[in-house]
Amino acid sequence: MSATGTCDYQAKDYKSDLKPIWCPGCGDYSVVQGIYRALAAIGRPPHEIAFVSGIGCSSRIPGYTTAYGFNSVHGRSLPIAQGIKLANPDLLVLAAGGDGDGFSIGGGHIAHLIRRNMDITYIVMDNQIYGLTKGQLSPTSQKGRVTCTSRYGSLEEPVNPLLYTLAYGAGFVAQASPTDLAGMASIIEEAIRYPGFAFVNIQSPCVTYGEEAQQIKGLKAIQETLASLGHNPADRLAAMDLAQHYGEKLHLGVFYRNPEPPPTYGDLVKERQALLSKDALPKERILDLFIKK
Amino acid sequence: MNTQGINFFNLSLMDALDLAILVEDEAEERYGEFAAQMDQHRTPDAATFFRYMVENEAKHGRELLARRVQRFGDAPRNVTRAMIFDVEAPDYDAARAFMSPRQAMEAALLSEMKAHAFFAAALPGIKDDEVRALFEELRDEELAHQKLVRAELAKLPKDSGLSDDDFVDEPAAQ
Amino acid sequence: MRKDLVFGMAGSGGDGIVSAGDSLLQAAAAEGYHGVMTKSFGSQIRGGESSCRVRISTDPILNPGGNLDVAVALNWEDFLKFGAELPVSGNTVVIYEAATNIPVDQIPLVGVTPLQVIAVPIAEMAKSTAGTERAKNTVVLGLIAGWFGIGAVAVMKGIRKKLAKKGEELVEANQRAFDAGRAFAMEHPLKVSMNVVASETKGAVKLITDGNDMCGAAAIFAGCQFFGGYPITPSTEIMQFFTDHVWKYGGAVLQAEDEIAGIGAAVGASFAGKKAMTATSGPGLSLKSEMMGLASIAELPLVIVDVQRGGPSTGLPTKTEQSDLFAAAFSAHGDVIRPVLAPTSVADTFRITLEAFNIAEYYQTPVIVLSDQEIASRKETLDPIDTTQFKILNRVRPTGADLQDYKRFKQTENHISPISHPGMLGGTYLASGIEHVESGAPTNSGSVHQRMNDKRTKKFDPLKDRKDLFTVYGNPDAPIAMVAWGSVAGVCREALDMALAEGLNVKLLVPYLLYPVAEGVYNDFFASVQKGLVIEQTHLAQTFKLLRMHIDLPKGLKSLARSGANPFLPGEIVAALHHLLSELQRSHEGKLQPQE
Repeated sequence: MSATGTCDYQAKDYKSDLKPIWCPGCGDYSVVQGIYRALAAIGRPPHEIAFVSGIGCSSRIPGYTTAYGFNSVHGRSLPIAQGIKLANPDLLVLAAGGDGDGFSIGGGHIAHLIRRNMDITYIVMDNQIYGLTKGQLSPTSQKGRVTCTSRYGSLEEPVNPLLYTLAYGAGFVAQASPTDLAGMASIIEEAIRYPGFAFVNIQSPCVTYGEEAQQIKGLKAIQETLASLGHNPADRLAAMDLAQHYGEKLHLGVFYRNPEPPPTYGDLVKERQALLSKDALPKERILDLFIKK
Repeated sequence: MNTQGINFFNLSLMDALDLAILVEDEAEERYGEFAAQMDQHRTPDAATFFRYMVENEAKHGRELLARRVQRFGDAPRNVTRAMIFDVEAPDYDAARAFMSPRQAMEAALLSEMKAHAFFAAALPGIKDDEVRALFEELRDEELAHQKLVRAELAKLPKDSGLSDDDFVDEPAAQ
Repeated sequence: MRKDLVFGMAGSGGDGIVSAGDSLLQAAAAEGYHGVMTKSFGSQIRGGESSCRVRISTDPILNPGGNLDVAVALNWEDFLKFGAELPVSGNTVVIYEAATNIPVDQIPLVGVTPLQVIAVPIAEMAKSTAGTERAKNTVVLGLIAGWFGIGAVAVMKGIRKKLAKKGEELVEANQRAFDAGRAFAMEHPLKVSMNVVASETKGAVKLITDGNDMCGAAAIFAGCQFFGGYPITPSTEIMQFFTDHVWKYGGAVLQAEDEIAGIGAAVGASFAGKKAMTATSGPGLSLKSEMMGLASIAELPLVIVDVQRGGPSTGLPTKTEQSDLFAAAFSAHGDVIRPVLAPTSVADTFRITLEAFNIAEYYQTPVIVLSDQEIASRKETLDPIDTTQFKILNRVRPTGADLQDYKRFKQTENHISPISHPGMLGGTYLASGIEHVESGAPTNSGSVHQRMNDKRTKKFDPLKDRKDLFTVYGNPDAPIAMVAWGSVAGVCREALDMALAEGLNVKLLVPYLLYPVAEGVYNDFFASVQKGLVIEQTHLAQTFKLLRMHIDLPKGLKSLARSGANPFLPGEIVAALHHLLSELQRSHEGKLQPQE
């Protein structure tokens, strides 16, 4: 089965009865809307979707969808998502979380998922702050940022999620924001349709702990669509060049889409399983492997 | 505000009506989301106001839809939601915890002004007379909406000038 | 003539002594003997000291044996590094490399006079027959064939098979080295003949494998289709087994970027509906503890194999210990019951691993298989196991009626809720590490938390009645008792046989289920007990303390505990039992004194 189904689904079919705990005005409200719309456009029935997250405000998101959700532990959405995908490659697997979840405590996992190129879409709601624990410095906080754990300003450079994923060789890297919900929905849709690992960084403002410049008005002031810049998403070096402006500019759209997607890990696994299945001893005779004559 | 792929010059009346319906739909939905957020965060007065806005937008949407059906039946739509964003709907971060009714109304007022600006800005590029007439009507409708909101604002007692932050609890760590 | 012989051989890695042990074990199996082989190494990757112990018997073998019957030292420095792992006694024949230039009456073994000491010019014989000193191990095999009657034909048959691809010349060189060793033995007969009697089961089919491979095979038999893990000694071979075989069964293996990702992927695979496992050793178990807690609260079946080594931290990566018991039972925060099972041998690793999957699936829980370095890496010869005798359980799935109004964590009579998986229409739910109501929706309600903790702990009650996860050996009414698990159980079984033969009234309880503690089973066992020992390889007496935490132990029950890498010998346990008996007799005599 492909990522696309044939049934006709509406955005509301992906919305669960759970009420979000997010603060009013949180950017994540728009992200979940964007996800509903993207899923409706894809049209896979909710029960064929597995949506995994870690811990953090944004990691509550799977519960707000009608998919099979897994709100796991901090930083570990990606390993769990990979296990799901390997166990059942036919599922549409989404992973999501915040910048702390993805680039701090779980930062070690992204590189490896990228090199495995499993067909998983990873959405990071990047708000440059730890919201759930009340406003501490996050891995994407700007240097100098004053928070309750950096009273005199942060001494660290932020992680650049776009450059990071591009540099590791992700086949699909994009950025979206609540300043353009329709654009966000179509970027998420495109990410899901990409056959392989796809990363979408979404600037999702924290209304409670975010700085003024990171709110929607501030984002609008620095946003530019990549399309308007004439960026060619097949050009990885140009994408890396543009990605360097993370934090100063808000570039919306697809930075990079591998024009010739290589086989996914799942494809290779299927191939290997098919090749080796003929060598399988019946399970009840598995111990014959140990016979010494 | 974001309008992608709309060519106002070529816009047909049917497309213009559909677009206007989508704008109302979006606003209705967003106010609905805001009302739910306020309910969830125990801010009932603001929730009540946002629901009032839901009804207004829905009503306007229904009127437009009736006109569209009368004129064009159920001919398939050429325009999509992806072409508009935040025309009349408030920005996502216009919602705030513990919004007072005044703040909620001010957020709505800003949105109505934004919508007015959208239709006003589109007018010079419109070729079709009927479409222009519709857009003028819609622009004026937004003015009427603004009046409606201002009237609600006027009913409110005078603002104390105090900030919520002086009273509410700090956010709770989870 | 002997029915049972224990060989201990040591040299440097380059001497190929472990490879000789392998050949000996295989030859013994071909000749119908039972055999067990353990290996032990220094910390160098290559060229450090290495040793093996091969025990051969006409009867089934319970453990690698105590004092050596035959000690082979290719050099003394290496041999001595193994200390208590290669104990020489007055009944040991010591064979050593003559080139060490140590006279037979001055070998560096303190406080012991072996039965016989023989210096053999092993290196010289290897060089003159095979043209290289590397053939020393083949000379040793020849000596063993000559002196002890094992493998005269089978050893060279095995070597021939192993070297067939490398050409006849190499095979011939080895044959000459082997023959030279054998001839030397013939020319220098032992003072007391130690030939092993011929086995009656010569030619019968035997399996040879170690605990790790057995564990992997059992998992695949159980229907496991996913392994996520990270290399760590001494458990890595389980992952290797999966990479060799699981694909054939439509499954997959993920060598993850770290221990956490390994278990995380297994948790994900289980959520997706497949039987899944991970394997690790001490440090990895520490890293996995958060995920184990997640699997407990999300009620996801999962098998975690912990092959114990010396700890804490890096500890002794190549030596066995039982000190992960507390970590297995208690690691991960919160109120959690996580079943812990322990095999006692390579053979029962099959059943216990399968049982772990069955318990994981039935109870929807992570289960730890607490193996240890000795079981995991020792090789045993086994009689074929009839796998059709074993039942395979699968998690209970929701029925059509359940799916009408599906609640993933529905309260049921046995506290086990039918579990759906992605792809199942009508079964969507939110799995989570956060506390949840029956539907799976998050909650922070204290009363729901209380109810859900009840559900997640009470569901295990029937497990504590599983008497088949315990074995009592010896006289069930005996006043003297032993409790031992894991690889130590095998030593205690042999000690029990020796003690019974000496007329002691004693029994042994071997638990395969370590946690939750089956109070009823222990209380029944301890009813007749006045004196006893809980015998374990942990410095802190973890087993004794775990039992004391749950059970009012008999006053006379004591702990016999020591750190890993210091194996128990059957003889010392028998001595301890004798001591208990004399204490018991004294206390009885005391009671018989007329009271004032």
